[in-house]
Amino acid sequence: MLGAVALRHILRTIVAAWLILSVLFLLSRSTADPDSQLRNMVESNSRMGGLLEQPATSQQLLHRYGLYEPLFYATWQPATGWHWHGVQTQYHRWLKQLLHGDLGYSYRLEAPVWDVVKQALRYTLPLTLLAAALSIALALGVATATSYRPSARRWFIRVAHILQSFPLFLLALGLLLLLANPDALSWFPAFGLGPADQESTGWSRPGLLLYQLTLPIISLVLGSFPALAIQLDGALRHEFNRPYIATARAKGSSPAGIVWRHALRNAVLPTVTLLTELLPSIVAGSVVVEVVFALPGMGRLLADAALNQDFPVLLGGVGLVAMVRLGAQLLADVLYPILDPRIRPEV
Amino acid sequence: MTILLPPVKQRLAAGWLVLVVLAGLFAPSAVSPPDLANINQPPFQGGHWLGTTSQGLDVGVSLWQGARTLLLVSLPAAFFTLLAGAVLGGTAGYWGNTRLRITHFQLALALFALLLTGLLLTYFPRFAFWILAGVPAAAAVAWAFLPGSTRSATRLALPLDSSILGLIALVNSVPLLVLVVAAAAVQRPSLTGVVALLSATCWPTPARLMRAATLQCRTQPYVEAAQAAGIPSLRILWRHIGPNALPVLLVRFPLTVAVLISLETTLSFLGVGLPAEMPSWGRLLAAVRQAPPDWWLILWPGLAITLTVLSLQRISGSENRR
Amino acid sequence: MLVWMGLLYACTAPTTRSPEGTVRIRWARDPENLDPLIVSNASAYEVANLTHCSLLMGREEAHDFVPWLAESFPTVKHLGDTLLQVTYRIRPEATWDNGTPVLARDVALTLKIMNCTGLPTEMAQAMFGFIRDIRLDSADARRFTLVCAGQSPEHIRSSGDFSVLPEYILDPQGQLRTVSLADMRRQPTLAAAQALARRYQRLQLARHPENLPGCGPYRLSAWQSGRYLTLRRKKSWWADVYPAPPYQLQAYPATLIYQVIPDAATATLALRRGEIDVYGLMPAAEFTRLQQSADDRQRLAFYTADAYEFLTASFNVRQPVLRDAATRRALGFLFDVPALIKATQQGAATPSAGLISPRMKEYYNDSLALPAFRPAQTVAMLRQAGWQRQPTGRWQRTSVQGTPQILRFGVSYRAGEPSFETAALQFRAAAEAIGIEVELRPTEQAVLSRQLQAGETDMCIRNYSGNPFSYDFTALLHSRGIGASNTTQFSSPLTDHLIEQITTTEDTRKKRLLLRKFQRVMAQEMPFMVLYFLKYRVAASRAIGVVPVSGLKPGYEAARISPIKTPL
Repeated sequence: MLGAVALRHILRTIVAAWLILSVLFLLSRSTADPDSQLRNMVESNSRMGGLLEQPATSQQLLHRYGLYEPLFYATWQPATGWHWHGVQTQYHRWLKQLLHGDLGYSYRLEAPVWDVVKQALRYTLPLTLLAAALSIALALGVATATSYRPSARRWFIRVAHILQSFPLFLLALGLLLLLANPDALSWFPAFGLGPADQESTGWSRPGLLLYQLTLPIISLVLGSFPALAIQLDGALRHEFNRPYIATARAKGSSPAGIVWRHALRNAVLPTVTLLTELLPSIVAGSVVVEVVFALPGMGRLLADAALNQDFPVLLGGVGLVAMVRLGAQLLADVLYPILDPRIRPEV
Repeated sequence: MTILLPPVKQRLAAGWLVLVVLAGLFAPSAVSPPDLANINQPPFQGGHWLGTTSQGLDVGVSLWQGARTLLLVSLPAAFFTLLAGAVLGGTAGYWGNTRLRITHFQLALALFALLLTGLLLTYFPRFAFWILAGVPAAAAVAWAFLPGSTRSATRLALPLDSSILGLIALVNSVPLLVLVVAAAAVQRPSLTGVVALLSATCWPTPARLMRAATLQCRTQPYVEAAQAAGIPSLRILWRHIGPNALPVLLVRFPLTVAVLISLETTLSFLGVGLPAEMPSWGRLLAAVRQAPPDWWLILWPGLAITLTVLSLQRISGSENRR
Repeated sequence: MLVWMGLLYACTAPTTRSPEGTVRIRWARDPENLDPLIVSNASAYEVANLTHCSLLMGREEAHDFVPWLAESFPTVKHLGDTLLQVTYRIRPEATWDNGTPVLARDVALTLKIMNCTGLPTEMAQAMFGFIRDIRLDSADARRFTLVCAGQSPEHIRSSGDFSVLPEYILDPQGQLRTVSLADMRRQPTLAAAQALARRYQRLQLARHPENLPGCGPYRLSAWQSGRYLTLRRKKSWWADVYPAPPYQLQAYPATLIYQVIPDAATATLALRRGEIDVYGLMPAAEFTRLQQSADDRQRLAFYTADAYEFLTASFNVRQPVLRDAATRRALGFLFDVPALIKATQQGAATPSAGLISPRMKEYYNDSLALPAFRPAQTVAMLRQAGWQRQPTGRWQRTSVQGTPQILRFGVSYRAGEPSFETAALQFRAAAEAIGIEVELRPTEQAVLSRQLQAGETDMCIRNYSGNPFSYDFTALLHSRGIGASNTTQFSSPLTDHLIEQITTTEDTRKKRLLLRKFQRVMAQEMPFMVLYFLKYRVAASRAIGVVPVSGLKPGYEAARISPIKTPL
């Protein structure tokens, strides 16, 4: 019985994945524009006039990128009605490639999309995983520690709200100007993973990496932990009004014991949804932090791809995030009944 | 565990919010010309009390006009975000995948209405409002009165939960920046566009929270009793689940406003947000990128945002305490 | 804990000073694709010019191209009315890395690759498609003649402006020596051409340019996309035999490290902390701020160069409101150029009356008036152009078709660029003050270029970049350029004729007269208004020596940074 439920969940996830990827593909391709691609190339050229042959060249580019075919099996035009194109369509070709595990080639980088994404994840994952773990730990710690100390709680909630209203790039810039500035405190490197000639090896590598990622991680934590903490705090407070807490208190449990053994278990349920939302952002990276600290991660890759209309990379990256998202949802569906037995698994 | 606030602070918070609303209502609509002779001027010098930006804009006037932007953008967007989140999350959590059943006729009617709306919109885009209002209304009337919507017909289960979760996954899987670039390609930045964009990107979080809270409430004995008593679903949602699930969302209201202010800043910073002549607090903050040593560009808008968020939090916090 | 780790490493971290002969340079952008056929951005262009050699190189001081791989400037012969024969001879010293000399057949193979179907040759076709044939000299393996279509003198320069690729890697058996350029383009594709395309693609040059080392002074030694790129100077480069190498053959730094740092504030910090040595194209405000700090003056040297890039307000002349030149001229008086220069460029920019830089003294028309801020003049000129101010304060006139027009338009510019935004805000304020309705439309780059091409903008504030070598305005302002780069959609028989004359004349005196006349006509017609010419700013560490700067991007010449200490 349980197997059938799991299978249903998985099948549903696969259908959802196909739908989401198709929608993303069709949406992104319907705005395809080889001219801007060409414009980028022409602008790098130092000659003043640019080129007279632009229209012809963009036609050639359309052909090379396979954008000349109709987008979908059928199109509808007000003048001529429905038109059937058969299988010679961009969608068909893309879907076939995808089923073979081929995400295509990047227009801009002339490399397989999967390689490009893998490369970016190598920088993004350590950063975001550490940041997410720290945010969760900090949120749990602060929310539980302050839940039975009203004045401390008030201050922490205020600070969290203020932090949340400051955009991430200001937080990152502020940290940079404070902790990597020869005029203030010059503790950390100003950018990235250190200068190129400083590739270290052996035992010092993880330590050095951690040192270089300190500022980006702090900015990410400052950006993401307030929302988690506020949510957890709200749920905790809601639980505190429940009768069972009064019972626990009457039994003489310590405040910390009440929080950890009783309230937290109930309060954590809505927070689990937030946690599963953290997962996709771990893969998506953060454009702002990666730009400010010059890290070549997923955020920058996707932003560049969007700006340069590099659809294969864009679709590959966004698709990956979507898949992780669906996976996280599957996980949440499994976790709910375990955390709260009152919810029965749906069949 | 409730915290009793001194009424003075309560009144201060309300006072600040009233001040912001009044400032927004009475802000001058004409943009003052940039004073290019006095750029990056520190506060309390010359004619610019709160200093100027590196583009020669007066910080004080921009703050004042930014209050109106707050009224027109951040608050409505926060409201719509939570509303959409509550409706969709509540629907998904309450009915799940199996509990809302409709007849084939009703399904056909809904699909027909959808198709008709699409067709009419392509042919008569000028009457968009009437089409969007009229067709669903007609469909609703047909739904209620036509035969076939009786209890005897075989019924289909609508997978509401899966659909809404899929929609959430779709929205969340596209990083904001990508979505923004795509939106900017379709239309020029405008006020309604920004409000729509912000609400369209932010609703999933409240929706998921609401869904989780509704799931929890639905298994409570009093809800099951109400269902057994045959009380209509909408009434159960409104009377029994709403009051218990909504606080989870209300906690988020000041937070949502805060998030939206910072999002709006990021949009303005990317240049696809509000029209350039519309000053906002976020844009003032973003101006510090061009002149990092200009502390006044952080201080004044930062102070305004901080006060607003704290006041909102205080007011909504007091409502929350019953 | 993190902070503690940081403190620990701050004490143990290696010094950030670079070893002797190493120069670390900031890049805003990764080169992304280093395939010599594609070269899709400025960073890639920079690398291509350090690892490969072309026949000619543009030299700013000479205002012309100088021989690079070629022994001397080519000899030119007109062939009939439509063809041009350009004859080059390659320097006898030039060799590839394996010691074999660079010969005419390497150039021939490079051209064949540019014409090879199955390779990404679109850009090369657009730029060098005018080279129809190459004829090798049977007596001298280094001498060859290019047959070019069209007789513009610009073609002579651009015929030598591509990186020459080695035949010994791409076609070791010399299978393509007998194939002509025309045959390469023919369908169906020849077997030899297919084999070449396969060999070329197997090298994966987009990500692994080191598979095809050129005859330039540097070799790519490491490239982490998005992080850094390292070039090392060859131990023995062929031009080392010159006791005093000419400008174009100088290459001093032993290692060039390019660090990709997208954010300007981060890059400034890195420069101040000594993590990079050279910061080119620095924003004006940061540059001035560093100049004012005593500590930074001690350690950093500051350079500026007059650039050929200029800020313009360009009009879409197809827009009914902006169709007549009088209205466009009137609107030109609403830009407060001196104030804009002071505010956005810290005073370091040159106002100009036209699209030729005032520093090009021989061609610049100095009798034209510089842009001035005179709103009163705008009002008077609008009246002359038939506009009438309504009681509502707006301007209205009756168009030729008899329908009323209101003076109302949008100003587009690339979002996120402060100098554009400041100019747009200033213009809008000045226009609103006299009743002209202006809507600002900051637009994302890709969308903006599409709108410009489709003619959907009204007025656009943007940069154009020029150079000191070429005065070919065909793509920019000729009727043939409409649909390509002529986004103003402006054309007139007179200017079309002038542009054609300018590109074909070789007589400097005549060219001078024509260019002066062209500038006068442009000032009259005003399809775009030039606000000012920019200056490029470079800040560099004093420790690396003198940095030669230039008015062409990237603003510095990395290979010629010589390790002579700058005086304080």
